[in-house]
Amino acid sequence: MSSTPTPDGNHAVLWPRAPRQMQQKPLAPRLQDLEGKTIAFLWDELFRGDLIFDMIKEELAKRHPGMKFIGWEVFGSTHGDHEKEALAALPQKFRELGVDAVISGMAC
Amino acid sequence: MKQAAATSIGLGIPNIPLALVPGHVGTQSLEQLQQNILKVTVDQVIDNFTKATAAKGDRSEPGARDIVFTGGFSAVNEFFYEHEYSDGLPVVPPTVERVEEFLKYTDRSPDEMLGVVLPDNRAATVWSIAVNGVMAGCRPEFMPILVALVEAMCDPRYGVEHSGNTPGGDTLIILNGPIIKELEFNYTQGALRDGFLPNTTIGRFWRLYLRNVAGFLLHKTDKATFGNTWRVVFAENDDVLAEIGWTNTAESMGFKRGDNTVTIARYTGGGSLSSVSGSTPEQLLPYLADTVQKYHMWQLTFTVSHGNGTLRPLIIISPIIAQTIAKAGWSKSDVQQFLWEQARLPAWQLERQLRDWNIRGVWNLEEDVKAGKIPGLFFESADPQRMVPIVWKPEDIMIAVGGDPFRNNAYVFAHNAFLGFPTCKRIQLPNHWASLPKN
Repeated sequence: MSSTPTPDGNHAVLWPRAPRQMQQKPLAPRLQDLEGKTIAFLWDELFRGDLIFDMIKEELAKRHPGMKFIGWEVFGSTHGDHEKEALAALPQKFRELGVDAVISGMAC
Repeated sequence: MKQAAATSIGLGIPNIPLALVPGHVGTQSLEQLQQNILKVTVDQVIDNFTKATAAKGDRSEPGARDIVFTGGFSAVNEFFYEHEYSDGLPVVPPTVERVEEFLKYTDRSPDEMLGVVLPDNRAATVWSIAVNGVMAGCRPEFMPILVALVEAMCDPRYGVEHSGNTPGGDTLIILNGPIIKELEFNYTQGALRDGFLPNTTIGRFWRLYLRNVAGFLLHKTDKATFGNTWRVVFAENDDVLAEIGWTNTAESMGFKRGDNTVTIARYTGGGSLSSVSGSTPEQLLPYLADTVQKYHMWQLTFTVSHGNGTLRPLIIISPIIAQTIAKAGWSKSDVQQFLWEQARLPAWQLERQLRDWNIRGVWNLEEDVKAGKIPGLFFESADPQRMVPIVWKPEDIMIAVGGDPFRNNAYVFAHNAFLGFPTCKRIQLPNHWASLPKN
């Protein structure tokens, strides 16, 4: 049997990915403070978000008594068969409800 | 946190603020959860509201048609593995020459964009399909099928963006039409096993495309706890279906008999049923009904308001079972009706699964029905022993026919609902298809 190594070829290979189509977006400006701010909760109906949001809300309200909260029930699930519609409706709903910031969960 | 950070890059917000709940919320007592929220999470939430996070710089990438490496077969594979372009198996080096061979089998322009695929937000171009098709070991004549598959992947109804979820299911591709025989797919014994080049390489292409263009990478954007590996293409036995007068999957999805189509859907589990015995439908089908119900447990979340009834279990039955049922005068619809009536469980068990075991504490069947979110048949009385179905309508149970023609076995696939919803596309052959060589 020959001991000469078989040539491995010489291959100029192409990039298997494709260009991204999304430009980087800047984050919304941060809040100067939390006094009197309206916070909305968005939930994907998973991972005990309902309990966790209640705990967060309670603690935030203790630290900043003037804060207002809008519950996840107002917006529809962010992870259900209607998630695309729910997400598309958010900008207008946030404007109408005077939302200053959002807590969205839960990932795991 | 890692998955959120990786996924946010494709969404254009690489510095999205995140807050952590330590550990896994599913294994903590209420007291532990509260402690973690108070000690860790709330402070991070407040920081995220009030402190800016540094913008991350753009990471440069090659261009769509760039040569990224030149070298021998082994060196190419090492480079591809290091750069997470390959699945760990050797790939066929995607050279310009090989890609151009693939492009001969489509009328579509190489730069045509079929859609944009999440989570990476990359362009699903005909060119990128050919590159990944070469890598997977496909033959050039498979190109029309690959294009149809990516069209299905890009269809928003399918939900490709969910392909990195923790249940880790994988897609089954069902193929129908004369192309099955023309390109020599296996559609009989061993229909779900690797070993036949068309079935195997196209299955591999699917996952390579999810990796390289959709952007699903383990330990980053793909969060499968365990995961399934890619599935070979299931070519349905259209001959038997025609013989017994049942619709094939393509027809069930709105196409015509004789159309070449691919149907994709994502499944998280299931298994094989051996020895489905009996000489009448009434003897054969109870075993199937019982198994379909048993194989769907946490997936029942999709039966109720969370999934809006998008659960679509799939049962593949072997030809001899289908022929035996058809001989008794039963149509596919009759089988679906029987299964829908029999694949049921007591209401209290469905609620226990979701409320107590999967800790979804915010609903029950009565609430969902009264809110108009699910059909009234889920709360026809308050009796907790009342039997409720796992899908809303008989036709929600999908039935396909294939496998060993002479074994009385079946296979149930547990469906991932809107996270991989059944989507069917026609395979468009180029005008000059008849004149093109096929191996």
